[in-house]
Amino acid sequence: MADFWQQVMAGLAAGSLYGLLALAVVLIYRSTTVLNFAQGEMAMFTTFVAWSILQWGDYWVMFPLILLIAAGFGGLIERVAIRPVEGAPVLNIIIVTLGLFAIVNNVASWRWAGMPKAFPTPPEIHVAGIKFFGGGALHIGPTVISYHDLTIMVFAVAIMVILYLFFQYTPLGLAMRATAQNPVASRLMGIRVGRMLTIGWALSATVGAVAGLLIAPIVLLSSSMMMGVLLYAFAAAVLGGLDSPVGAIVGGLIIGISENLVGAYTPSEWLGPDMKLTVTLGIIFLVLLVRPTGIFGRRVLRRV
Amino acid sequence: MRRLRPPRTSRVIIFVVLAFFLLWWIPFSHVLPGVFPLRFAPYRTLQASQVAMWVIVALGLNILTGYNGQISLGHGAFMAIGAYTAAILMVDHGWPFWITIIAGGVLAGGVGFLVGVPALRLTGPYLAMATLGLALATPQILKKYEGLTHGTQGINVRPEVPPPPAFIKDWFHITLSRDEWMYLLVLFIVFIMTILALNIVRSRLGRAFVAIRDSEVAAQAMGISVPRYKTMAFAISAFYAGVAGGAYALVMEYISPENFNFLMSINLLTTIVIGGLASILGSVLGAVGLVLVPELPDLVFNRIPGVNIGAELSWAFYGVVLILIMIFAPYGLAGLFRRLVRLRPAMVLRSLRTTYSRWVGALTSPLASAGETEDGPEAKSSQDHPDAER
Repeated sequence: MADFWQQVMAGLAAGSLYGLLALAVVLIYRSTTVLNFAQGEMAMFTTFVAWSILQWGDYWVMFPLILLIAAGFGGLIERVAIRPVEGAPVLNIIIVTLGLFAIVNNVASWRWAGMPKAFPTPPEIHVAGIKFFGGGALHIGPTVISYHDLTIMVFAVAIMVILYLFFQYTPLGLAMRATAQNPVASRLMGIRVGRMLTIGWALSATVGAVAGLLIAPIVLLSSSMMMGVLLYAFAAAVLGGLDSPVGAIVGGLIIGISENLVGAYTPSEWLGPDMKLTVTLGIIFLVLLVRPTGIFGRRVLRRV
Repeated sequence: MRRLRPPRTSRVIIFVVLAFFLLWWIPFSHVLPGVFPLRFAPYRTLQASQVAMWVIVALGLNILTGYNGQISLGHGAFMAIGAYTAAILMVDHGWPFWITIIAGGVLAGGVGFLVGVPALRLTGPYLAMATLGLALATPQILKKYEGLTHGTQGINVRPEVPPPPAFIKDWFHITLSRDEWMYLLVLFIVFIMTILALNIVRSRLGRAFVAIRDSEVAAQAMGISVPRYKTMAFAISAFYAGVAGGAYALVMEYISPENFNFLMSINLLTTIVIGGLASILGSVLGAVGLVLVPELPDLVFNRIPGVNIGAELSWAFYGVVLILIMIFAPYGLAGLFRRLVRLRPAMVLRSLRTTYSRWVGALTSPLASAGETEDGPEAKSSQDHPDAER
């Protein structure tokens, strides 16, 4: 039984990672209604910038700085590449994000060539005698969890809550929701629709940057580090419902846990660890058959 | 009224483009020295075969995505089914190659039908993700059940192929290499599949696909069975991918699970959007672009003395090209082509200027929003629609 809970714990840790990037995916889906294939690469790029800053600066100096840089980066991409194809068919915008993927990925591997780089975990902070962040492991009941995994979970849940509150209880959040739902009516009501879209991308890049900073210590910093994570994040976002931040995290956790359990407990001669991705994707497919817009997704009703 | 059948000019162009690839190397050098100077270098022959193969699968994917409006990011999986069926039947069971290609197509079509049924409930990004899952799972499945698929070591395919007919040698005084003969065979398949696609698209079937894409409710009201035609689109499209997979095994002579990873499926979608959705010509142009665009930077920049941009920047350039095509030619290369064919310089200039000013406007003025320009999108779409093949 202890082994089972350990697997669940590992699944939760991996799932929060997927969920974190899935949050970024959801934010862009809400503003532009496309899956952003460049999401992972944008996060990878800002993490490389963070690495460069860390060569001369402290982690907690770098952190707010990188959030600002990421926001600017996301907003810039929306202005330069996405805005000209606004209103074009969804597939066209998807191809633009694939083009961005190629550009960002290759510029990064050209600029920061060489071996994958080690990236530090957030250094520890003591508040009221309790240790936050840093290394080491924590024993919870029969299971062991590393401090970094715990950091990731805390960040994932915290960002989800912040986003939820932001969208529900601030005027800007309300304006962004209105834009996502009906751009034309929003514009008539005096909302700067274009600006909302830019903010959506900036916000998404910021959340993605946090995901990148937390993933890099685990997988090493390289230009291909986000590729696999992004696909899981897509799956998580779709499973949870593409317009729901809560769904993104829940979807990520479900995928993380089911992946670990399938790897550990199915017969390895015809399923087992090699097939854990396949089985997980199968589960997602079945869920989508019952709920075609994800677990928390809003049903799209169209007037004829 | 939108025109339903491809205009005659574009049908002609399709065959001119296809024929170009035939003529490039057919040794007219003996007949017309200096006009068709060279045969393909061996490498180019292989590349041309690849173009031909991508044309087949792009035709199929365009029927599903362009004409019927269902996004698939999983066509690499159907190609894998076709390629593996053909390879296993050829290598392990010794079937003649042309039967195995048909068998691969039929099997892939059957699986496509099975996938199409649950896909009925899904739309847009959810369908995209579900099919992307198919593409992601494919290499794993191929590796896992190695008793059937030979696992990670892949399959070497080098089938017995009947020799080129004697008349080629008699008429053109040339001996074909094996690659060149293969290329001709694949090109022959492409011609058949193109004619088939042109006929599907302008038949009752194709009109039903388009009607469903434009409005499911309206299509249903006119008596079209939406589920029936949507699954049929999936099956036809998967059949094309399966045939292309068989051609893949034949051309590449080696297949392994990693050939059919998800990047292949994503590339396929890129192909048809870059080429032009809902356009047969677009499928052909897109496949040519897919193979040739990555070579562009080499041709453009590295010809400049003292300049040698590496592989990374070449691929970054590829990304830039993708984005520019989407901004300046939203209907893909085929749309661009159609506009060029009926070239009225003033009109072209105006439309380029509109697009450009939208772009610059979006960049420079923080308050302007692209949708607000008076004659931007409307003016452009009214130009494009009358001759769009939809």
